[in-house]
Amino acid sequence: MNRSGSLYIEKESLFHRLDGSTKFLVLIGWTSFIFMFMDIRIFLVMTILGFGFLKVSKIPFRNIKPLTVFVMIFSIINSAMLILITPEYGSELSGTYTVLFEMFGKSATYETVFYALTLSMKYISILPITLLFVFTTHPSRFASSLNRIGVSYRVAYAVNIAFRYIPDVKDEMFTIMNAQEARGVAFRKGDASLPTRLRNFVTILVPLLISSLNRIEVVSNAMQLRGFGLNKKRTWFNQKNMVIADWAVIGVVILCVLLGIYMKNNMSYFWVLN
Amino acid sequence: MSQIVFDHFSFKYDAQQAPTLKDINLVIKPGEKVLIAGPSGSGKSTLGHCINGLIPFSYDGEMNGKLQIGSLEVKNSQLNEITKFVGTVLQDQDGQFVGLSVGEDVAFYYENHEVRKEDMIAGVTKTLTSVSMLEYINETPHNLSGGQKQRVSLAGVLASDTSILLFDEPLANLDPVSSKHALDLIDEIHEESSKTIIVIEHRIEDVLAHNYDRIIIMESGRIIADGSPDALLPGNILTDCGLREPLYIEALKNMGIDLKADAKVADIQNVKVYSEQVKEWFESSRTRDHSEIDPVLSLENIGFKYFEDGPEILKDISFEIPKNEILAVMGNNGAGKSTILKLISGLEKPDSGVIKLHGSSIAKWSIRKRSEKIGYVMQNPNHMITKIQIFDEVAFGLKNMGVPDAEIKERVEYTLKVCGLYKFRNWPISALSYGQKKRVTIASILVMRPEIIILDEPTAGQDFRNYTEFMSFLKDIKNEGISIVIITHDMQLALEYADRAVVLSEGRVIETSTVAEIMAKEDVMECANLRGTTLSRLAEICGIKDVRYFLENYIQFSKEVVS
Repeated sequence: MNRSGSLYIEKESLFHRLDGSTKFLVLIGWTSFIFMFMDIRIFLVMTILGFGFLKVSKIPFRNIKPLTVFVMIFSIINSAMLILITPEYGSELSGTYTVLFEMFGKSATYETVFYALTLSMKYISILPITLLFVFTTHPSRFASSLNRIGVSYRVAYAVNIAFRYIPDVKDEMFTIMNAQEARGVAFRKGDASLPTRLRNFVTILVPLLISSLNRIEVVSNAMQLRGFGLNKKRTWFNQKNMVIADWAVIGVVILCVLLGIYMKNNMSYFWVLN
Repeated sequence: MSQIVFDHFSFKYDAQQAPTLKDINLVIKPGEKVLIAGPSGSGKSTLGHCINGLIPFSYDGEMNGKLQIGSLEVKNSQLNEITKFVGTVLQDQDGQFVGLSVGEDVAFYYENHEVRKEDMIAGVTKTLTSVSMLEYINETPHNLSGGQKQRVSLAGVLASDTSILLFDEPLANLDPVSSKHALDLIDEIHEESSKTIIVIEHRIEDVLAHNYDRIIIMESGRIIADGSPDALLPGNILTDCGLREPLYIEALKNMGIDLKADAKVADIQNVKVYSEQVKEWFESSRTRDHSEIDPVLSLENIGFKYFEDGPEILKDISFEIPKNEILAVMGNNGAGKSTILKLISGLEKPDSGVIKLHGSSIAKWSIRKRSEKIGYVMQNPNHMITKIQIFDEVAFGLKNMGVPDAEIKERVEYTLKVCGLYKFRNWPISALSYGQKKRVTIASILVMRPEIIILDEPTAGQDFRNYTEFMSFLKDIKNEGISIVIITHDMQLALEYADRAVVLSEGRVIETSTVAEIMAKEDVMECANLRGTTLSRLAEICGIKDVRYFLENYIQFSKEVVS
C-alpha cells in the first residue's frame, strides 16, 4: 500500500487514461461474460487477454504477485475439495463416465478433474481485470466514477474518506503501540509468549477506538460546515470527462456481452476435452 | 449594520444539566478583528459553534434569546444559509483536511455546491495562490506540515467567499514559527478583503502581537470583559480568570510598575515609556549562581538512520541529563527530538555512540528493563490510557512486571496521593478532564519509580491555570529526586521551568546551556526555528544591553515573587 492507503500505481497507459466508471463497467462486463460459461477454451483466451492488458498497463509483476499467488492457492484447495467431496460431479454434467482413480470406495472421474481445472481457470481469468481496476484507478477518481454510474455520492465519498484516513489511523496505532511498549508492554517476538502478545494488541484497541470516534465527530462537522450533503448532486474536482476511448471501450464491452449471450445459447454449458 | 448579534442569548446542550452559555450580549461589526479568549470550559468553543451554525444544527440543545448572523435570524434558517456567511477553520488540521490531495480539499466547497469543473479549477488556483500553496496542489496531506495543512484549510474556507472567518484555536497544534506565519496570513487576508475575523484562542500573547481591535473574555459561560487590548491589559482581568498575560506585561507588573490605560501597552513598542523603571529594577536585581552538572543519563556521540541508505536523522549527538534538574530538549519539527526519545527508550537502536546510565552502557538493555528506569509520557494522554478505572491504569505497568498485589496496592495508592488523584481512585478515567488524564499518565509512569521521566510537549492544549498547576506538580516530582526531560518548542515554558536546555537542529546539538543564555543567542534561535519571548523584546526596547543577564535575573526574581 502507498501512503494514500490505496493500491493505485501511477503509470502512463491506456488503462490509466480511461475513466474509472469505464473500467468499472469493463470489470462488470468481463465478470458477467465469464460467468455465462463453463468452458476452458474461453477462459484460456480471456486469461491471456487479461494478462496482456496488465502488461500494457505497465503494472510491475511484484505488485501483482501476492494476489496472484493467493488466487492460485485458493483454486488448488478449491479443486482438491471438489474432487474429494463430489468425485463424479463433472460426469453428471457431461454425461460421460471415464474413471481415473478410486478413493474411499468412490471413483473420481476424468470429467470431474477437468471440471475442477475449468473452475480454477474461471477464477484465474477474472483476476487480471480485477487487478487492472484496482491498480490503475486513482482513489479519488474511483469515488467520482462510482457516483457517475449511479451510486449515491454520500456512499461514494465514504470510499474517499476511508482512503484519506486509513494512513492517519495507522500512524496513530503505531504511536499508541510505542507508548505502551515504552511502559514495558510486549509486542515483539521474543519479548513474551504469543497469547500474551495477542492480548497486548487488544489493549491498544481501546485508545484507538476512542480517538477514532473523536475523529468522526470532527470530520463530520468539517464536512457539514463546507456544505456536504446539502444538494442532491455534487460535482467532482477530479472527475475526468469521458473521451472517445471511453465510449469505444464501453461499446466493445456491450458487444462482447451480447456476443456471450448469443454463444451461450448455441453451445453446451460444460465443455470437456476428449 | 452589525454582522453578528447575540441578544440575551443562552444555550444548554441536551446532554448537560446547566446552560453552557448564559446571557450573552455581543455585537460584532463588519471588518472587525476580534479575539475571543477564555480558560478551558469557559464556553468559548460553544460560542464559536453558535456563530458557525453547528449549534443548533449539529448539536442538539435549548436556545433562548436572539442570535443573528449576517441577515439571518438563526432560529428560522438552515445550516447551509449560515455557511454562506461564516467560514470556519477548525483546530484539528487533519480532521478538516478531507480531500486526498490539496487541490481536491480546497475544491470541497465547490463540489458540494455543484460548481462546474472549469470554474472549480479557476477558484482553486486563485485561493491556493492567496495562501502561497499553489505549488503543492497535487500533494497528499501526509507530505505537508501542520502549518501547511492549515493553509490548505484556510484556502478551502476562502473558496466559499464568506464575509466572516472564524478560527477555532488555530494555534493549538503549531510550533511557534508556524503560529506566527498563520497569524500573519490571517492579517494579510483581513487587509486585502476586509472580512470579519474572529479568532478563538487562549494563547493571547501570540494573537495580541497582531493588532486585534477587540478582545472578548469568557468565563463560566459568560462574557466578563469586552474591550480593546489597550484597555484590558493594564488591569488584572486576564489573570483573575486563569489566563496568561503576555509575558512582558506580567514582567512589568511583577517589577511593580503601574501600567496606565493611555500608554497603549498592547503594542510592545509603547512600553518604552517605562524603560527608566525597568532599568532601575535591573540595576537592583541580583544574579543567580550556577551549579555543577551531576549526570544520570548521558548520550555520547549518537548517530542514527532509519534505513541503511536513508538520510542521517541524528549526527554525533552528545548531552547529559542532569540529576534533580529539569532539562528542556528544544528544536523545530523534524530536528530529531522524537528520534532521540525512541533511542533512549530502546524502541530504536543507535547506529553509533553509547547511552550510559550512571556511567555504564545500557545498549544491551531490553525496552522493558529500560522502562523501569526511564519513563516516557506522551503528548496526548488518550494515546496512553488503555484501562477504564484510574487504579487499574496506574497499576498496569506493575502488573506487567509481576509485582505482588499487596505491593501494587500500596505503591499505586502512594503515587495517586503524590499526584493529587487519590480521591478519584475509583473513578472511571472518562470522567476526568484533559489535565487530570495527563496526571494519570504521569502517575502510571511514576509508580514504576523511574529515575528519569521524559515528557513530550507536557503543556500542549492546556490553559494557563492547568499549565501552572501541572508545571508546579512537575517541580514537586523533581524535588522527589527524579530527573525530568521536557521536549518542547515553547520558549516561555523552558525559560520558566527548565534548569538547562539542549537545542537541536537538523539532527545535531547546536547548543547546550541555560535557557536565558540560549535566548540571548540570536543565531541559535533562528537556526532552531525558535521564537524569543516578549521578555527579551522588553529588554531590547528598554535599552538593556545584556539581555541574557536580564532574563536570568528576571526568572530568578519572578520565581521569588510567585513563591
